[in-house]
Amino acid sequence: MEEDAKDASDSNLERLLRQGSFVVSAELGPPAGVDRAVILKKCQYFRGVVDAVNVTDNQSAVVRMSSLMVSAILVQEGLEPIMQLTCRDRNRLALQSEVLSAAAAGIKNVLCLTGDHQSAGNQPDAKGVFDLDSTQLVNMVDEMNKGFFMNGEPVNPPPHMFVGATTNPFAEPFQMRIWNLAKKINAGARFIQTQPVFDLPLFEKWMAAVRDQGLDQQAFILAGAMPVKSAKALIYMRDHVPGMRIAGEYIRRMESAADPQKEGLAICAEIVRQLRDVTGVKGIHIMPVKWESITPQLVEECGLRPAVAGIQ
Amino acid sequence: MSKVGKRFALFVERHRTLYKGFLLLENMIKKPVLRCQSCGQCVLSYNAFTCCMRCPKQMRNGPCGGTRPDGSCEVYPDRPCIWQLIYTRSVKLGREKKLLKYHVPVDRRLERTSAILNSMAGRTEGISMSNELEPGEDRSTGRI
Repeated sequence: MEEDAKDASDSNLERLLRQGSFVVSAELGPPAGVDRAVILKKCQYFRGVVDAVNVTDNQSAVVRMSSLMVSAILVQEGLEPIMQLTCRDRNRLALQSEVLSAAAAGIKNVLCLTGDHQSAGNQPDAKGVFDLDSTQLVNMVDEMNKGFFMNGEPVNPPPHMFVGATTNPFAEPFQMRIWNLAKKINAGARFIQTQPVFDLPLFEKWMAAVRDQGLDQQAFILAGAMPVKSAKALIYMRDHVPGMRIAGEYIRRMESAADPQKEGLAICAEIVRQLRDVTGVKGIHIMPVKWESITPQLVEECGLRPAVAGIQ
Repeated sequence: MSKVGKRFALFVERHRTLYKGFLLLENMIKKPVLRCQSCGQCVLSYNAFTCCMRCPKQMRNGPCGGTRPDGSCEVYPDRPCIWQLIYTRSVKLGREKKLLKYHVPVDRRLERTSAILNSMAGRTEGISMSNELEPGEDRSTGRI
C-alpha cells in the first residue's frame, strides 16, 4: 500500500487508515421525504463518534434522497461522507457525472456497489440499468482518478477519490468471492466493507483466505457489524435478506432476552470486540439500519474511539 | 486465419440477407443450448461455457452479494445463481484460472449482433484482461 501513497486522495478516512488507526464508519440512510432536518438529526449521532459516514444509494431499491446530495450536506456539516454509488439506477454516463459532481461537492470517498435488484424494493416494476457491474464501476472511478473518462478522454482536472468496494464473506460460492475481491482490488479498490458479521467462525475462515492471497495488504478491510432491536429482525434477515448468515446462538439469545434492545446492543458490541482481534481487519463498519441513534452508545460500549475526535 | 476471418466477417456483414441467415443459425444453436443473451461479445470460454449474462444484474466479473445459502439466485429463488454454476463447472473442468480475468464493460452497440462475426472482425479484442496488468496493457483503452 505504501507505493500508492503518492497518489493518495485527500480523504481523511484514507489518511487515518494509512496512519494505522483502527477506523469506524457508520451508515446513514437518507430520508424518503424532503426534510433536511432528518439528516441533520442523524448527523448528531455520528459527529465526533465515527470517522466516516456511508450514505446509502436508494438502499433496498426504495426511493430516497440521493446519495450525492445527502453526502454533500454531510460535507457542509463537517462530517466525512462515503458516497455509495450503485449501478442499478444509472448508466455509465450518469455514473461518471455523479463522480464529477461528488468531487466538486467535496466528497472524497466513493463506495462502488452493484445495488440491490429492483425486485427487492417497493417499485419492482422499474427497469434496472446494470450498465456496469461493481468491479467495472471500481475501475471506472479509478480511471477517473488517473485522469481518464471511460472513453479514454481526459478528465480535467481529475477527481481524487478514495475508492471502496464491498464483499460478502457469507455467501456461496465462497472461493469465487475471494477471486472477485482480488479483481476489485486490482481494478482499484483501496478499501473494502463487508456485509454485517453474525457468524464469526465463517468470517475468520474468510479472512484467513484473504490473508493467504495477501489481499489485506493491498486494501483496507472494514468488517461489518449491525445492531438489531429484536429477534424478529434477525429472523427476518436470515429468511428474507439474501446472502445473510446468522448464527442460531444470536437468535436464541435475542429471543430469551428480557430487554431485546439491550441484548442486541450487547451482541453487536461483543461481535465488534471479536472482530477487532481478527488479523487483517483495519476497521469496523456499523450498519444501524433505522437505529442510527444507537451508534454513540455502541461505539463507547465496544471501546472504539474515533481516531480523531470530531472530524474536521 | 485471423485475416481471412476478418475478411469473411466483413463480407457477411456487407450482405444483409446473408448476415441475417448467419445470425439466425448462430442463435438457433446458442440460444437453446447456451441460453445466450445476445450481448454480442462472448465470454463463454472464460465462464466454463455458462453465460453470465443470464444473471438478472448481468454481472460479468463475479457474483453479487445475494446468492442464497442453497446457491440459488436472490431474484429468482427457483433458479441457481449463475455464478455458482460458473464456479462449480469451472472447477469440474479445471478452468478456474479463467475466472481471474477482468471483463471490461459491455459495448452496448454490439447487443443483438453476431458474437462470432464480431470476434472474427476483431471487435471484441481486449474485452477480457488478465487480473494483473501485463506490460503494455492499459485498462482505460481496453475497449472495443
